[in-house]
Amino acid sequence: MRTLTLDKAGIASTIQDGGRLGTLQAGITPAGAMDPLALKAGQYRLGHRAGEAALEIAYGNVRITSSHKCSLVITGAPVTVLIDNELVISESIHTLTAGQTLTIGAPSEGIYSYLHVSGGFDTCPVFASRSTSPREGIGGLHGGYLRDQDILPLSEDALPDDNFRADPGLCSIGQRSILTLRYVPGYQYDALAPALIQRLHESHFEVTAKANRMGVTLNGPPLNTGVESLLSEATCEGAIQIPPDGNPIVLMKDRQTMGGYPIPGAVIESDCVRLAQARPGQRIRFTACTPQEADNIRWLEQHYVETRLR
Amino acid sequence: MPFTIGPAGDSAMRLSFQEAPSPRLTQILLQLQRTAQRYFLESLSDSVVGYATLTLFFTPLSLQRDQVTVWLEKTALSLCDARQVLDTPSTETVVLPVFYDPAVAPDLISVADELGLTIDALITLHSATPYFAFATGFAPGFCYLGTLDSRLKTQRLSTPRLRVPAGAVAIADQQTAVYPCESPGGWQIIGACPVTLFDMAATPASKLAVGDSVRFESIDERTYRALGGQICER
Repeated sequence: MRTLTLDKAGIASTIQDGGRLGTLQAGITPAGAMDPLALKAGQYRLGHRAGEAALEIAYGNVRITSSHKCSLVITGAPVTVLIDNELVISESIHTLTAGQTLTIGAPSEGIYSYLHVSGGFDTCPVFASRSTSPREGIGGLHGGYLRDQDILPLSEDALPDDNFRADPGLCSIGQRSILTLRYVPGYQYDALAPALIQRLHESHFEVTAKANRMGVTLNGPPLNTGVESLLSEATCEGAIQIPPDGNPIVLMKDRQTMGGYPIPGAVIESDCVRLAQARPGQRIRFTACTPQEADNIRWLEQHYVETRLR
Repeated sequence: MPFTIGPAGDSAMRLSFQEAPSPRLTQILLQLQRTAQRYFLESLSDSVVGYATLTLFFTPLSLQRDQVTVWLEKTALSLCDARQVLDTPSTETVVLPVFYDPAVAPDLISVADELGLTIDALITLHSATPYFAFATGFAPGFCYLGTLDSRLKTQRLSTPRLRVPAGAVAIADQQTAVYPCESPGGWQIIGACPVTLFDMAATPASKLAVGDSVRFESIDERTYRALGGQICER
């Protein structure tokens, strides 16, 4: 069997693909790569066709050894890459021969990097996805965050090299002094006090250390809704949930499927990716956008994917 | 029955009823969910019934908001008028055994004290009548059951527990539930259920579904252990 051994697993590495569909009513989180564009870029470069899964790495610091010859590429947060202690060009497609070691350093910006191996990882799909949901213990290698010395099975049908494609030149994550998150008003927007909405729009928030695959907690002037809890209902990705302490939480891929806190709206997916890659301390502001504007942004992104990544 | 329709982010739509949850409202929402699944087919990637809401998730860029809004409004209105929508549970009553004992229920004594009930009276009230399954979610297999007798109405814990064991039977406000797997939780634990509620190898994976009727049955320690229940030494 072709395998990769994680000599050093990193702090929060998981197997991720595009995530699950149709499991929300059962309470199973959709999971999936926190940076779906970086996932798609890696799949494109290796000529993948079937939504192959990648290794999602948070804050780098991973070392792997391959049992067989294999080709791989790293996308997402930019990292330094060494093969057997020799620095290589991190954006290139690399071939690792049997027994060679690949070391991924800490990212210079962003959080999540993706290690893609030609043919993909061959862990067992759960509800039609290889994505890991650590809280539920579902998917990936053993349902949880990967540990040192874990051995990842690789697909036997690695693709021929002539499938490989050049770097499509993904836009860099780009550090901004203030990251503007566009959101579509909805949920309890009309029921919340206008002064609270004004505060949401006019204040600056900061990404706190409580930021993970479930959600990103922001710190700023407290948004007091006066609401302790509501009747539970479905949450969506990007939902700006305001618990009684007034610090908003933007829900991400591993969110709880039901929530009972007021939500003035949800951040559009394309800005969820920017937030996913934002480190603690990043300043944030919110701006409302219409559903039509959200669609236009999605069409532009779709155009990019279709012209550059297909 | 008044309702509103609006966006839930950039690729989902949400219909929300203004009225209080009831079995009939849930049956309307379930019927609406099934009809939507048949109508929108693959463009509908997921859908969730909440206490008084239905959220429809679409694959990106396949959502035609105006069309969905008109369809939802028309279909919801006709279902609200329909006589054939039942106001009863979708299933025969599912009976779940519960061991009500301080050995497995850290809040049992304090809740009984707070409510001014004996433990036996609390058990009788909790297991007397069947509950209706209003919603599922939060965690795999988690099912929100109601409505609790008003004499059992309690607050959530001021600081949620980081680890509630699988099988914990808990109450909060006028709801009750069994934690299907170990998770954080702020509800007050009054018993333990030895039955597995979520099993990925089973079809469906969750034992309980929205619209079900569920009743609790008090069991003794021997039965609890015989059914696979465990008592952690603390």
